[in-house]
Amino acid sequence: MRSLATALAVGLEVALILLLVGLSTGMIRENSRRMSGVGADIVLQPPNSSLVLAASTGAMSVKIADLVSGIEGVKDVAPVYLQFNTSGGMGLIWGIDQESFNRITQGFIYLKGEGFQGPDDVIIDDIYADGRGLGLGDQLKLMNHSFRVAGIVEHGKGSRVFIPLGTMQRLVGTPGQATMMMIKCHRQSDIAGVQDQLGRRLKSYPTFDMSSFAAHIEEANRDFGPLKYFTNTVVFIATLIGFFIIFLSMYTATTERTHEIGILKSLGAPQGYISLLFLKEALLLGGLGFLLGLGLTFGGRFFFRLLMPTLQHQLPPEWLLYTGALALFSAGLGALYPALRAARQDPIDALAYE
Amino acid sequence: MKTILESIELTKIFKTGKIEVAAVRDVSLKVREGEFIAIMGPSGCGKSTLLHLLGGLATPTSGRVLVDGEEVSSGKDAVRTDIRRRKIGFVFQRFNLLPTLSAQGNLEIAQEIHRNGSRDRQHVDEILNLLGLEKKTHHKPSELSGGEQQRLAIARAVINRPAILLADEPTGNLDTRNSMVVLKMIQELNRALSQTILMITHNPEAANIANRLIEMRDGRIVSQQQEGGWNAAEDRMPL
Repeated sequence: MRSLATALAVGLEVALILLLVGLSTGMIRENSRRMSGVGADIVLQPPNSSLVLAASTGAMSVKIADLVSGIEGVKDVAPVYLQFNTSGGMGLIWGIDQESFNRITQGFIYLKGEGFQGPDDVIIDDIYADGRGLGLGDQLKLMNHSFRVAGIVEHGKGSRVFIPLGTMQRLVGTPGQATMMMIKCHRQSDIAGVQDQLGRRLKSYPTFDMSSFAAHIEEANRDFGPLKYFTNTVVFIATLIGFFIIFLSMYTATTERTHEIGILKSLGAPQGYISLLFLKEALLLGGLGFLLGLGLTFGGRFFFRLLMPTLQHQLPPEWLLYTGALALFSAGLGALYPALRAARQDPIDALAYE
Repeated sequence: MKTILESIELTKIFKTGKIEVAAVRDVSLKVREGEFIAIMGPSGCGKSTLLHLLGGLATPTSGRVLVDGEEVSSGKDAVRTDIRRRKIGFVFQRFNLLPTLSAQGNLEIAQEIHRNGSRDRQHVDEILNLLGLEKKTHHKPSELSGGEQQRLAIARAVINRPAILLADEPTGNLDTRNSMVVLKMIQELNRALSQTILMITHNPEAANIANRLIEMRDGRIVSQQQEGGWNAAEDRMPL
């Protein structure tokens, strides 16, 4: 029973890490996919902006769109204002100029309703609508402002929630500003030339070819300081918990089995043999805990999907290996002292232990 | 016959705070190959401590122990363990079997330790047959009678053919009938296989089957009887 409880505790350590990493990876990749789904060829960002879109605070004038439109090879430009929202759920809300955005994306595929009819209208995608049980005409509170659901669209184009650009600028208090320009070129062969021109005319404004933008976003998010430190801290604490659980379990086991250790010593078992017995047992518990942790992770993922369908969970394979190694490492380290203590017992004292 | 076990002026003093108790005092003893020696004496006279010293389970305060020419009284645990593994088999009053393993498992683990990992299933079966435990192969110790447990403990002690078998009151926990069975088995090991045996006992009948009887008192050997009559120990305390 104690072994099972120990393995389960190691499993919780594993599940905690995998759920956290899976959720952050899932959200990052899902955002990247949706960015790619917009259909733009180039993304232009203001100076000092970040590829971690939720944390990017830079803004630029929407008039830059006119300048960009004049560059040879540019077909359309759509200014977008991205804002991280925490009221009524976490996520990025896109403020869009519907007309230009439709030109870039070839338009939304409406499952219900239509585009913005007024400044307080919101367009949401089907996953967001299903997850929150929203229908046409329902009120949705975002950024401390009430919106009316005007349209429900097929998911995959930028965000899950869109509001008019003007409303976004008013709510954020940055009139005439955008955080990103989505640029569509006439031909694929124009992309490099347009980027070159943008680099000359808007020197400090970073541009990204959309074909590599998703990879850039993933990399930037992975290296994003706060997220990285948070993940590392959770991994460290979870590993520490695993270590202490195994330590306590093996310490108790070696104390309970003192008499058996005495028997092994009387048979001539060397210290290495006895240490290895307990280390092997701890590693077995670590391995079993890892498998239980995988089960808990997949169970947790299923549970998350039921509760919050908009949350995406994706397990990077390297993290499976990494977490497995961590579970075994914490198990081995936790068992080290109890195993050595067991091996160094005096055989007569151990044999006399009741 | 060659000397298989020798103790030279062996002394063991236990300290409890400032109080010192000499459990074994200047015991010198030679055991020849194939001998069967019984050690008797009142409780607390140092019989078990002597056995632990001879078997390398404990280190002496002074003096030496040689098993088959190798010094087992060294302070190093690894050295004592190694000699114990290769040369000595123990049988205890409390059987000391591993409770989670079957009869077969208890024998196999002794083999595994002795042979650094390898096992010989055939030899295990031979020993179990020899001791009449062939039908109890898969039984756990808790499913065996006291006599069967002690037979299994003896089987475990001799499975690696040790140079010497040290038995600490092997019949102490058994009824008369089982005691006789176990003693007969020990005697048979000595007679048929020339197994050198040193056995502690309180039971005069058990002592009678040995070739030599040593009596201890207050940590010293006070008399020895070689098949035929009592001889006073050279260095002895008055009876």
